[in-house]
Amino acid sequence: MTDLDAVLEVRDVAVHFAARGGLFGGTPAPVKAVDGIDLTIGAGETLGLVGESGCGKSTLSNAIVGLVPPTSGSIRVRGHEVAGASRAALHALRRNVQMIFQDPVLSLDPRSTVGAAIAEPLAVRGVARGRVLKDKVDALLAQVGLEAEHAGRYPHQFSGGQRQRIVIARALALEPALVVCDEPVSALDVSVRAQILNLLVDLQRRMGVSYLFVSHDLAVVRHIADRVAVMYLGRIVEQAPRDVFFAATKHPYARALMSAVPEADPVAQRAKRRTILSGELPSPSNAPPGCAFHTRCPLATDVCSRERPRLTPRPDGALVACHHA
Amino acid sequence: MSEAIALALVVENLTIDIDGASVVDGVSFAVEAGEVMALVGESGCGKSLTAFALLGLLPDVATIVEGRITLDGLDLSSLSEREMQRVRGNRLSIIFQEPTASLDPLATVGAQIAEAYTVHHGVGRSLARAKARDMLVAVGIPDPDRRLTQFPFELSGGMCQRIMIAIALICAPRVLVADEPTTALDVTIQAQILDLMKRLVAERGTGIVLITHDMGVVATIADRVAVMYAGRIAEIAPVEELFARPSHPYTALLLASVPGRDQPPKQPLATIDGQVPAADRLGEGCRFVDRCPVAGDRCRSEAPPLVECAPGHRAACWHRDRVAGLAGIAA
Repeated sequence: MTDLDAVLEVRDVAVHFAARGGLFGGTPAPVKAVDGIDLTIGAGETLGLVGESGCGKSTLSNAIVGLVPPTSGSIRVRGHEVAGASRAALHALRRNVQMIFQDPVLSLDPRSTVGAAIAEPLAVRGVARGRVLKDKVDALLAQVGLEAEHAGRYPHQFSGGQRQRIVIARALALEPALVVCDEPVSALDVSVRAQILNLLVDLQRRMGVSYLFVSHDLAVVRHIADRVAVMYLGRIVEQAPRDVFFAATKHPYARALMSAVPEADPVAQRAKRRTILSGELPSPSNAPPGCAFHTRCPLATDVCSRERPRLTPRPDGALVACHHA
Repeated sequence: MSEAIALALVVENLTIDIDGASVVDGVSFAVEAGEVMALVGESGCGKSLTAFALLGLLPDVATIVEGRITLDGLDLSSLSEREMQRVRGNRLSIIFQEPTASLDPLATVGAQIAEAYTVHHGVGRSLARAKARDMLVAVGIPDPDRRLTQFPFELSGGMCQRIMIAIALICAPRVLVADEPTTALDVTIQAQILDLMKRLVAERGTGIVLITHDMGVVATIADRVAVMYAGRIAEIAPVEELFARPSHPYTALLLASVPGRDQPPKQPLATIDGQVPAADRLGEGCRFVDRCPVAGDRCRSEAPPLVECAPGHRAACWHRDRVAGLAGIAA
């Protein structure tokens, strides 16, 4: 089943890491960082992927851009398979998938000018050279709200927000179909965060690019995403269109996450009945049987520790993996 | 001091210089017993320097050139380093952003919690240990007897922050300074820690100075808020008043730039153009003037004083009347 409009199609993807052997030998169970993931992102669409540390959202992002080979399953970008692709095939694929990381300082080479950084993907692929290349770099700088004269400067001469603009310009240089944004505004100050979010929305309108927007911040996701997927211990527990998700969150973990988000509204915050989850995320190397959330779940019953709930569709368009929600 | 309300901490006109520039300039606020007072602002606004100054922990490059810090009537600025050591961790304590970096990796949790108590109260080991165990229970750590013998690496980040809180509160301080206490934690763990802090303040009457950049955290736990910009307090108000009627343009824009329930998705958020002025370029006037959409001539030449606009609500702006419109446009 292939969706022709889909920019990204992830089918039953798992990423397992081999765990280190114990002192007395024996092969321990692998760490199932990501397991049984299905996702689709359409053209010009933003999927917000939400979860806490260790839920596997970064591993999944890395698999989608081809930085980590999936253990099983299929990842297709515009119909081309990423999983198991050769180096040459991956090189061709990356033209269509780019990534933006959390820390713009670490994403830029301090000894390379901004112009050179943005020109590199274009030069490497022989898209443009000479005068044309320079014009293209200037145009990209303008697109992200910087000036042509900035091309000759080095990353340290820019603020954090400007550096994230530079990283975005470089990611868009090859006009990719999909940009994976891994916590792109988490390291930025509040007022700068708004500028970068506005820029991402604006670029999507103009270029039709799709985003996989990975974040722990539900307020940001509500602002930027068309659909939302929530991960817990390597699996998606709920996926729904934005308005459905925020109006009627169903999975108990997603609900707890929603209630834990500190909203910038003291009246609402104090009126809110918050579900404070007890305990912490279990280790993915030793995930609980059945539903991985049952150890912390307020709704859990016997069946939850035995049978893993499947993602099932609900009348309002949400997909939820819970026996009771 | 016999006022109706017990002021645990009073900061008056605190001014801190680095290389001749006043990076904290005339900051005044007070914290009542059992109250959470938030200092909020973006990177470089001077909120953390203010926190360090309270504890007498300023780096060598920074000097307090003016101002008074009074804890329960005791003038901290007059104390020697030796005397300050008796206050720190005892009547005034601090927790930091990175709990794992703040704990000694080579000492057990029990020893680290007990240490503060032994040092300040001169009690024996068994009593201090019993007290440490009580604290673990108070900060909601299950199985306290086992935890006492564990090392920090055996605990998660959220657990370590609970340990830090236990250490900070074991001597029942009058005031706890919390510098971005939940920034490094996941949201569900953050909710647990904020809840814990709120409960402990209520139970023990400890005052908290909460340093944060997160308006959501402020809305959740603070009673009063001081918004700092480039070393000065731009606005100070009770929390609901501040969010409902911001009276400084910086506050209004900051609030409008946070995506919230009221903002339509994918519509532009309010932004603040430009950048915080460098420390060597702080002019005579209002420090927000270059980025302010409502600034006038007077803002350049004369720094606006903090003026009361409602009971307990003060803002430092010459054009407060223009701020309401600003918030309206942004929201």
